[in-house]
Amino acid sequence: MTKRLPKAQQLSSEHWFGKASAGVFAGYLLTIAICGIFSRFGPLEVGFFSAQAQITMWLVAPVWGLILSFCFLFQSSARAWAWLGGASVVLWSILLLFRFVIG
Amino acid sequence: MYRDIHSWVGIVCGLALFIAFYAGAITMFEAPLNRWASKPAVFSEHTPLEKTPELVEKVLAEYPKAAGRYEVTLDAGFADRPARVMWSTGPRGRGTTYYAELAEDGSLQVHTEGPSAVGQLVDDLHQQVGILLDHELVMQLVGAISLMYFIALISGVIVLLPTLVKDLFILRIGKNLKRMWLDLHNALGLFSLPFHIIMALTAVVFAFHDLFYASQWTLLEKNGRPEFHEEVAEHREPLAPHQIVARLREQAPGFKPLYMQFHAEEDHGLELRVSGSNPRHGSRAPGYGIAGVDPYTGDLTSTDYMPGEQDGWYATLTSFFSLHFGNFGGNPIRWTYFLLGLAGAVLFYTGNLLWIESHRKKRRKGYEHLDVQQTKPSIILGALTVGISLGCIAGISTTIAAAKLLPLWTDALAAWHMGIYYTVFFLSVAWAFYRGAARGAVELLYASAVATLFIPAVSLLSALFPGVGWNHGGSTYLIDVMAIIGAGCFAFLAGKTVQRIHNAPEYSIWYVGEEVSPTQTVLGAQLQ
Repeated sequence: MTKRLPKAQQLSSEHWFGKASAGVFAGYLLTIAICGIFSRFGPLEVGFFSAQAQITMWLVAPVWGLILSFCFLFQSSARAWAWLGGASVVLWSILLLFRFVIG
Repeated sequence: MYRDIHSWVGIVCGLALFIAFYAGAITMFEAPLNRWASKPAVFSEHTPLEKTPELVEKVLAEYPKAAGRYEVTLDAGFADRPARVMWSTGPRGRGTTYYAELAEDGSLQVHTEGPSAVGQLVDDLHQQVGILLDHELVMQLVGAISLMYFIALISGVIVLLPTLVKDLFILRIGKNLKRMWLDLHNALGLFSLPFHIIMALTAVVFAFHDLFYASQWTLLEKNGRPEFHEEVAEHREPLAPHQIVARLREQAPGFKPLYMQFHAEEDHGLELRVSGSNPRHGSRAPGYGIAGVDPYTGDLTSTDYMPGEQDGWYATLTSFFSLHFGNFGGNPIRWTYFLLGLAGAVLFYTGNLLWIESHRKKRRKGYEHLDVQQTKPSIILGALTVGISLGCIAGISTTIAAAKLLPLWTDALAAWHMGIYYTVFFLSVAWAFYRGAARGAVELLYASAVATLFIPAVSLLSALFPGVGWNHGGSTYLIDVMAIIGAGCFAFLAGKTVQRIHNAPEYSIWYVGEEVSPTQTVLGAQLQ
């Protein structure tokens, strides 16, 4: 705990713009995908203002907020984009697969 | 790193949040405030509920446009609804609102004098963080600010975590004033953290729900049930309002109906929504929830938004709203939210001033032998913090006080209220820049105290001079009492700030010079 990490591994505020933009854009796509997973495989719904659909919408705020808060923990902007973007691609693939192929 | 993030998001959104929290705290008492600020109603008594069908019939005969949507007030004590029957020419209450009653002889009486606009102004300032431009446009900004506010909360906790145990239960009141402010900032922030997280997340949704729905609808598969519309085939006579109230009492005894909204369209006949509250449950709107009722039989058709009659999903959803509005638990919660809101405003004010002080310290590191002065951005931020925060306080107080005097010379109340608020607000900001943060803070605090004292002063004037203003008595005196207490707090803070600026170390944002004028010290000492 007390041992300092080597300089290269220490987090700095330098790349805040790259990381934050990853959180805003890739993070938002990931958030919507997570909502999609809950509505596809969980109890939530999308559309038509049912209570479950409204809760799906509410889910965006905490999930996106947490992603935005912790996206600064990535080592670099590129990693932030890669992880958040990659996770989006995986979740969106699952969703699209179930929607169009498996049905 | 998270300290930088906390500072920057805090700086960017702190002042907007100050306005949102201060105005939001006041909206907890919007109903008594509106009653305090509203002229005595034109009608002294409501038409008896049993005679309402006759009233509605006469209204619809004379104003056929009202047939599309009109409202029947049920709770006579509701200050925002000063007539038995009301309708608006514009959608969602925009346009002119008409108020109608039956006179003793059964003739129709109609006027357009609504309740005071000042409560709505404070509410709008709260929702739009003090920027009263186009609603849709400002909401994008509010959403972004709310997200940053959430990030500021998380990063603030992360920064505090390593020293949490050491710092939490300690308030170091002593020589090191910055330490004391930091302790206060931490204690306030941590102990009201759940409140702040709720506010941040609900505000994000309130601002961005259109965006969120739109992206989910376009990007995700829809799997919700389609909405169900009941077809009304034959034309029947709707029940009279008092019969519907009786039917509601049978079906939901805890539900206290406030007003009914009748809505008629050619393709689906007459629809009825009854707004009301249940003291044991929170509700979706600040003051009420909604029940769908069949106007012909009085049967409940939709209880999704009806307090006390919701299923688990809808009750969960409603809890998000009522946690933001603080409309559960009655007066104790109302006061708690009021105090938490004010504490939030203090949090943002202290946060900004802390940043200014530590910003200078950080720059001095390694240059202790040199004079490190406040930078231009610090001076600007200091003036902005003082001017915007205190300008908001003084502006709201002045415009509230004006409510009892404005009707003496104008009918355009809403425009005047807004004009007064912004005049005081921008004058304060300009004053803070002209005088600097330190002197400006003292003078604007005294100005806020005086502006807040205007509120009981106009009540006193109204009591002394017939024809000027009005006093409704009852709970509206709460407004005057709170204003006196508030003014006392501002005067006390002004006295403390006088001491501070004359004892502040050189180059502090509070430093104004060594000379102390005797009147100021006496004043400061008296107020302690």
